[in-house]
Amino acid sequence: MFDGKTKLYLYVGMFGSGKTELSLNTAIFLRKKQTHVAIADIDIISQYFRSRDEKSFLEEMQIKMITVPERYMHADLPIIPPEVGGYISNPDFLTVVDVGGNEDGAVVLGSLKNFIDKVKKSTFFVVNVFRPFSATKAEIISNIDRISQIGKIKIEYLVNNSNVGSETKFDDIKIGEEILTEVSKETSIPLAFTSVDQDMDYEGNLPVFKIKRFMKNPW
Amino acid sequence: MKMLMKGTEAIAEAAVRAGCRLYFGYPITPQSELTEYMAKRMPEVKGTFLQSESEVATVNMLYGAACTGRKVMTSTSSPGFSLMQEGISYMAGAELPAVFINVMRGGPGLGDIQPSQSDYFQSTKGGGHGDYRMIVLAPHTLQEAAGMMNEAFELAFKYRMLVTILVDGMIGQMMEPVELPKWTKPEEFAEPDWALTGANGRKPRKVTSFDLDPYELEKMNLRYQETYKKVAQNEVKYEEFKIEDAEITVVAYGTTARIVKTVVDYARKSGIKVGLFRPITLWPFPYDRLSEISKNVKNILTVEMSYGQMLEDVKLAVLGKSNVHFYGRSAGVVPTPVEILDSIKKIVR
Repeated sequence: MFDGKTKLYLYVGMFGSGKTELSLNTAIFLRKKQTHVAIADIDIISQYFRSRDEKSFLEEMQIKMITVPERYMHADLPIIPPEVGGYISNPDFLTVVDVGGNEDGAVVLGSLKNFIDKVKKSTFFVVNVFRPFSATKAEIISNIDRISQIGKIKIEYLVNNSNVGSETKFDDIKIGEEILTEVSKETSIPLAFTSVDQDMDYEGNLPVFKIKRFMKNPW
Repeated sequence: MKMLMKGTEAIAEAAVRAGCRLYFGYPITPQSELTEYMAKRMPEVKGTFLQSESEVATVNMLYGAACTGRKVMTSTSSPGFSLMQEGISYMAGAELPAVFINVMRGGPGLGDIQPSQSDYFQSTKGGGHGDYRMIVLAPHTLQEAAGMMNEAFELAFKYRMLVTILVDGMIGQMMEPVELPKWTKPEEFAEPDWALTGANGRKPRKVTSFDLDPYELEKMNLRYQETYKKVAQNEVKYEEFKIEDAEITVVAYGTTARIVKTVVDYARKSGIKVGLFRPITLWPFPYDRLSEISKNVKNILTVEMSYGQMLEDVKLAVLGKSNVHFYGRSAGVVPTPVEILDSIKKIVR
């Protein structure tokens, strides 16, 4: 699933595809193996449900959270903390980067290109086929093209995060795997894994990454 | 097949399926995804998406477009809704159908971008000038919001009135499984007999909120009032949740009602019989039904993400028949189930 040589883990994809959940879970997964893990929230798109909302939990786990200063936490401003570049380059840290959705979110990667290109990285493109504008092979390929162009980044792996929230069934996850297998054939981008809720005993054709869902509603 | 959608996306797609092909808007958090969705979606269904230079322009584009008798809509959030009020009053005076989505955020002023319900007065009592009303619908789940879009357009055209779907940032931003509504058939939608479509071969029609003669303007106003009376008689909607044996009934709408449903179940586990009365139409408010309910329950608690706005309507319905209490958070703070349960305990014990 994760090759062990990667220093930088980049999650990109369409808006609401599950990048934040995967970034958080990847950081937790890596932290179990290594002392110095950082997660950088460079999401300039979402104003609700972001990595930074889990800051205190991550600090308890001793994962370094790189995000906007406390006083700007709820600001409607596209802030990129300056230390992101440093953590991307710092050889002592494994760094996970939660990128904002769509091409507008990926545009930030262009500005970090000088740092990103210098390290061994894995770029994951997250797909949930039950999200708008992501349901078909053609739509997904067009999304990959746009995001990689605007973010000036080569997509190295596809991730199947297909789910319908609390109502996800095994068949839904399978549909995601099938559509993404087609995408993979056409684009030659390999499929890395399927991510499923930690309570699901799903087995499919891909490695399964069990994840804890963080984004909860207040009831 | 269900999709995993944001509230803003579900509302937008439901509007497209309800036959809306004219969207005008200006982005503002926490509803910009609705505008963005329409920007992508309208060209796909051969509709028109137009981003205006401001909300003032938006509402006037809507005014013009609504005159043609087509299904038109916009979406905004609190400060943007304030900017639209002049045009809303003009459209109400011109008896035009249109649907507004207001995804409320903390105020007043620039406020913040977190969820709030403090535009209740503005929506239900009229934020613009003159004696007008607009129908205000308040869904409490994404599924309900999506299901309401077609109804919103039907009400708008049936009464030639403006309809607002009033939600807060939580419903706008959260993601849930949604079964999208069926597509309506455009051929079943008849062009209204007042629509301005070019007078070639027929008598000209007039759509206006204006008359210099006060007696003529009064006649127009009396006609509006007749319409509002009919709406108040026929279109009141509400939900009752476990109120039959309740010792205390909570009145809440939208996200707050959703939280209270959890509280009702919590409280019942600890032996307190709590019920929920949820207005679905905020205007017309369900005064009569709440009045009936208040005869049989000692305590009523109004919970809002504002400081006592709906409370005024609750008091008007109850008129002293039971004790009315209040719990509210505002400015973008969402009340937790525990907080609400605590305020219930203080009342019943």
